Amino acid sequence: MTDKKTTLPLTAETPSRFRNTIGKYIIRRNSRCTSCGLCAKLCPYGVHPRYDNYAKPMRPQTHKCVGFACKDNDYYCVDRCPEKALSLRLNPIMETLGDYRWTTEMILGHWAMAESGELPVVDLEYSLGNSGGGFDKIRFKKAPKKDRLDISDEEIDTSIILNKRGDGRPEKKISIPCYGGGMSYGSTALPVIIGRARAAKRLNTLTCTGEGGYPEELVPYKDHVITQMATGLFGVREETIQHAPVLEFKYAQGAKPGLGGHLLGDKVTPEVAAMRETVVGNALFSPFPFHSVYSVEDHKKHVDWVKQVNPRLLASVKVSTPTDVDMVAVGSYYAGAHIVHIDGSYGGTGAAPDIAKKNIAMPIEYAIPKVHRFLLDEGVRDNITLIASGGIRNAMDVAKAIALGADGVVIGTAEMVAMECVRCGNCESGRGCARGIASTDSELGYIITQEWTEQRIVNMYMAWRKQWCNLLRSFGMRSIRELVGRSDLLVHLDYLEEKERSRYQPAPSEALIL
Amino acid sequence: MQHNHDALIETILKSRAKLPRSAVPMNKAAEEGGCGVTGFIASIPVAGRHIFEPSVQMHNRGNGKGGGIAAVGLSAKDLGVTQDILDSHYLLQIALLDPKSLPEIESTFIDPLFEVHKAQQLQTVDDFRDIDGLDVKPPDVQRYFVRVKKGFLDQYIEDNNLYKMDPRKIEDELVYQNSIRINQQFYASLGEKQAFVLSHGRNIMILKIVGYAEKVVQYYCMDDFKAHGWIAHQRYPTKGRVWHPGGAHPFIGMDEALVHNGDFANYHAVSEYLQEHNIFPQFLTDTEVSALLLDLYNRTFEYPLEYIIEALAPTTEHDFDLLPSEKQQAYRYIQAGHTQGAPDGPWFFIIARNNPYKNYFQLIGITDTAMLRPQVFALQEGEVQIGLICSEKQAIDATLQSLSAEDSRFCPIADKYWNARGGSATDGGSFIFTVKDSDARDGTKDLVCTNKFGDVVKTMGNQTHYTVTPELRIPSKPDVIAETILDGLSMADISDFKDYCIKNLAIWDYDSLRYFCHQLCELSLQSDELKTRSIELLTHLNDMRYPTGDKKRSSVLHIIRDGLTRIFSASPKLSENSTSMYRYIDWSTRASLRAPQSDTEKVLVVNARDFPPEGDDCDARLICNAYESGWKQFICYGYKGQRFTGCGLAVGSDAVRFDVYDSSGDYLASGIDGMEIHVHDNAQDQLGQIMKRGKLVVYGDVGQTFMYGAKGGEVYIMGNAAGRPLINAVGRPRVVINGTCLDYLAESFMAGDPLNNGGFVILNGMEFDHSGRVVEQANPYPGSNLFSLASGGAIYVRDPYGRVVEDQLNGGEFVELSKADWELILPYLRENEKLFGISVTNDLLTVHGRRRSYKEVYRKVQAVKLDVLAKETGGEE
Repeated sequence: MTDKKTTLPLTAETPSRFRNTIGKYIIRRNSRCTSCGLCAKLCPYGVHPRYDNYAKPMRPQTHKCVGFACKDNDYYCVDRCPEKALSLRLNPIMETLGDYRWTTEMILGHWAMAESGELPVVDLEYSLGNSGGGFDKIRFKKAPKKDRLDISDEEIDTSIILNKRGDGRPEKKISIPCYGGGMSYGSTALPVIIGRARAAKRLNTLTCTGEGGYPEELVPYKDHVITQMATGLFGVREETIQHAPVLEFKYAQGAKPGLGGHLLGDKVTPEVAAMRETVVGNALFSPFPFHSVYSVEDHKKHVDWVKQVNPRLLASVKVSTPTDVDMVAVGSYYAGAHIVHIDGSYGGTGAAPDIAKKNIAMPIEYAIPKVHRFLLDEGVRDNITLIASGGIRNAMDVAKAIALGADGVVIGTAEMVAMECVRCGNCESGRGCARGIASTDSELGYIITQEWTEQRIVNMYMAWRKQWCNLLRSFGMRSIRELVGRSDLLVHLDYLEEKERSRYQPAPSEALIL
Repeated sequence: MQHNHDALIETILKSRAKLPRSAVPMNKAAEEGGCGVTGFIASIPVAGRHIFEPSVQMHNRGNGKGGGIAAVGLSAKDLGVTQDILDSHYLLQIALLDPKSLPEIESTFIDPLFEVHKAQQLQTVDDFRDIDGLDVKPPDVQRYFVRVKKGFLDQYIEDNNLYKMDPRKIEDELVYQNSIRINQQFYASLGEKQAFVLSHGRNIMILKIVGYAEKVVQYYCMDDFKAHGWIAHQRYPTKGRVWHPGGAHPFIGMDEALVHNGDFANYHAVSEYLQEHNIFPQFLTDTEVSALLLDLYNRTFEYPLEYIIEALAPTTEHDFDLLPSEKQQAYRYIQAGHTQGAPDGPWFFIIARNNPYKNYFQLIGITDTAMLRPQVFALQEGEVQIGLICSEKQAIDATLQSLSAEDSRFCPIADKYWNARGGSATDGGSFIFTVKDSDARDGTKDLVCTNKFGDVVKTMGNQTHYTVTPELRIPSKPDVIAETILDGLSMADISDFKDYCIKNLAIWDYDSLRYFCHQLCELSLQSDELKTRSIELLTHLNDMRYPTGDKKRSSVLHIIRDGLTRIFSASPKLSENSTSMYRYIDWSTRASLRAPQSDTEKVLVVNARDFPPEGDDCDARLICNAYESGWKQFICYGYKGQRFTGCGLAVGSDAVRFDVYDSSGDYLASGIDGMEIHVHDNAQDQLGQIMKRGKLVVYGDVGQTFMYGAKGGEVYIMGNAAGRPLINAVGRPRVVINGTCLDYLAESFMAGDPLNNGGFVILNGMEFDHSGRVVEQANPYPGSNLFSLASGGAIYVRDPYGRVVEDQLNGGEFVELSKADWELILPYLRENEKLFGISVTNDLLTVHGRRRSYKEVYRKVQAVKLDVLAKETGGEE
């Protein structure tokens, strides 16, 4: 427990890189407008910007509009417009964006968070998706009023500790219960990689190299960069092991267990090939599994090796979630790992083969409590950090994962969304990412800047932090570490009586997202 | 007759249907990845304490949650019975987890069925807590020498109409079925386990505990207990807080004990296969079903060993094509009928067994077809013979050191070390050491080593081992030797003297050699210069292959290495006052580590012997600290498998040099970036992973997954590489392998264009014969997969007869060697000549006594652009 107030990284307004930010609603202004300026004066959300000394109306910032809910307000511009020149409707683009897990509203909500660092004011359901299961069916119980703590966000501790072994290596505290997932040099643009690292530094957390080498540009942020060692061993050198505060062994990915990494020939540009020291234009397969690790004692040797190379390094073991994931976790603990990172089936970018995606590994919300309880029974839970990933989309998913038994989580997709990813799922195909994120193209890959990426990610996490603080306050907790394993605070809607269930907000249904 | 045989099998299997059983298991009870396995068998009985050292060596392959040993070919005297009883009676051992269950076991399962010749409870130490590291009390063990009551046996024969079968084999079956009943009632059906049968064969026994394997020997007071063959297993289970010894290895068939390192992916399928034959697992581990499979093939189906091995590890791909057609036909039948039951996934079995019908004992090692587990075989012949099988070489050396310390007929170094090539046409992935009565018929026994196909593995016959004596015996002409050394070492260039010594090593007797080494040790005390030269000379004699006359090479090496060890150990300690450039550090003096005193101190001599093999206190870590404080040259010796030598120095270690002696460990030279490492013996697994730059020289063989993911470096291997070398290597590694590889060489190789600063492997396919001559191996590359899915780099293979064929490539293509290619590789072959004495002109380019051009001798395999690598499917996170 801490009374110390934390200084939080500053948020800053970071608008979209594109001309028209996509919003839930569209406000249109027709030719009857006389540019009287009333709407600009009325709207507290800044939908109608206006120059001070220039009379012509500007295009409305429609993504800031709170929509039909505004009707009852006396500042509702549509009703108040003397010329009846304004009209409001739902943005039809909503129908084309998103999917069942990452609904349009969740994407828009995260864009709003990344832009402002605040929770969205527009009525967007950003905490629940439409998947019909998983985290969308799991809810926090309503906390009794008496439990509520009246403290500020700065007094709430959201940090977690990555080394609980007490083995003389650094404890390594990160200030939010999240760190960035591995995305390789080759899979994403360099400004994205550096921007993520800068954000990790600002937030005092970590990001991860993925399996593609360690660009020189990352070195200034090395205290916040995890070196990933995956089965292809691309770009891993003794030096990069020594840079790393944490080394992540990627044994498997939840999105495609039983398959190694895979970078298609078209993405292997001269720069990518040079970083990995391979042949330009040739697809790069990472084998499955590690050729040097076919058993738990080989794994121990593997862990011993990197610990020998860097005496301050922590070892993280990333595995997917087969049915015996609990035994894998315990095996990793005995092999000397500090972090067990379990990666469930929903995760991954669009790049994993469809046959593997969501079809092989166990959903993460089943895997977390299974591993957590098993570690408890073994008596080693307090000595290892359990990290979950794979389909953890938003702040409430993070909190739910922690209440199920994880210490923290790894975030990949949400960070991409903060960078305005539209979740089109074509990350692997060539260099043509429409948003310039998953591209190694010499032009496309630079329509994004490090500074912008950094601030967008910082903003999103700061908004998330607000959600966590609200939740923790309501349960009377001062630290997110008090939430670990509190599955008693959760309910699953499917297992509630009808009456009980009706007290919880239903997950968005098809109709809600048009 | 054949029909009768089938009918008998049918009857036996049917009779098992009445046995009590549990459901076919869907899953194993525990996940256990790998483990450490070790075993040896000797022509003479040896004491149980010798399994102690190798077991300790493999602690880091287990977690102390399960260990077990088996012994075969036991000493009747130590058991307190006559030889006749030992040979004829079943040695039934029951582990009593709950001693109170004994009366019920005896009244239900022992007394009604058996004539009990002798029953006793095994002696143990008084209190298990007296043994360090034993946290769980091992079970009480009840031992019986029994035969099935005649009336019972006759009745069974009559009931099942088995008159045509050997009654002794029926008796075996009754013992076996009785054990299944005991296990079902007192073990498998219970939540709280009470008792289980450890072993029930003839002249073989098993003991297992929760703890490390060697504690078995201590707890059951078996230090002095003698047997021909011993196997031990360190378990690494990862489930459940409460372990108990039932799940530990070895497991029994009938007269065999099996230990296993690995993990089946098809446990359920194998269990189903067994179910078809009314066999139901009771202990729910991979190892149990392996033992059950073995027993089914061996005792019920009566397959010859070769067919059993084929059923477990089928011959596939190119190797299958290489088999003679009659073998192909037989194997096709075996595979058709048994693939369903063949264990899939990484596995390595060591089996100790007795064949009471043919009167021999065997130690068998079998590797899976893909060779996914580490395995080393070794053989030593002479007045006594011993065969050894182990997960790691240093455990073999530890066994031999333990034996030779007590019995001078054993040498601490084996005559031969090698790996098996899984499911191959060359050795079948299996070697068998058989101990049987010698032809002399004087009660002595002989050991013969054969592979799956029955081909005998032998060492040079007409040589003798050295009998080590504590005192130095002065040879006939000591003065001549002493004088020669003085002259030789004072020459400006000692290369002539090296040649002289090598020539004389064939002629000298052991006493002369030992005296020679002794003199060098004495001289090296006099000055640094003499010391440096003595080390250089002895290292050369250690590294090179040459005729040794009537002396065993292993004994010669023993004496030379002993000399080196003495010279190294005599180096002044860091705390001593000395002007020597050599400084010594070991485990007990590790705290004295300091920076070298500027000009004088050059070489840090690290005795690794007592260092832990890994962890924050390991010798590799100490070396990193020494490097940081300014040391650049290291002599490291005394290894017994200590890992990570040379790791952790990172980028820019260009001026650093390591000389590594004795049994170095896994991951040596991994990640090195600039330095030079010379390994003066065979090296172990995972060498040179992600190696970036620098030079690695191995005066011997290297183990599994050598240079996985390497980015560069210049590497010379005198002997063979085991499975999967240079997988996923990129950048510009340049590697000369003078021997061959087991399989999967340079899979997914991506090392650019060799002619334009990329990487390559030169595979010479040569070996040294007994007299040190360089000769061709039968096939430069026998494996089925060469350069598979490679997108860059090249293999230059010395293949004057074109023995490597297209079928072995999966994505590569043969092209003619260009002049540019030859000019590229020639400097590396010249360096190779300098290091190992393998002459480019006289050895490599000479075929059958005739000089050839490089184009006729070397072939190039290069990458072709594969659709699978260029097509757009799938993707990466």
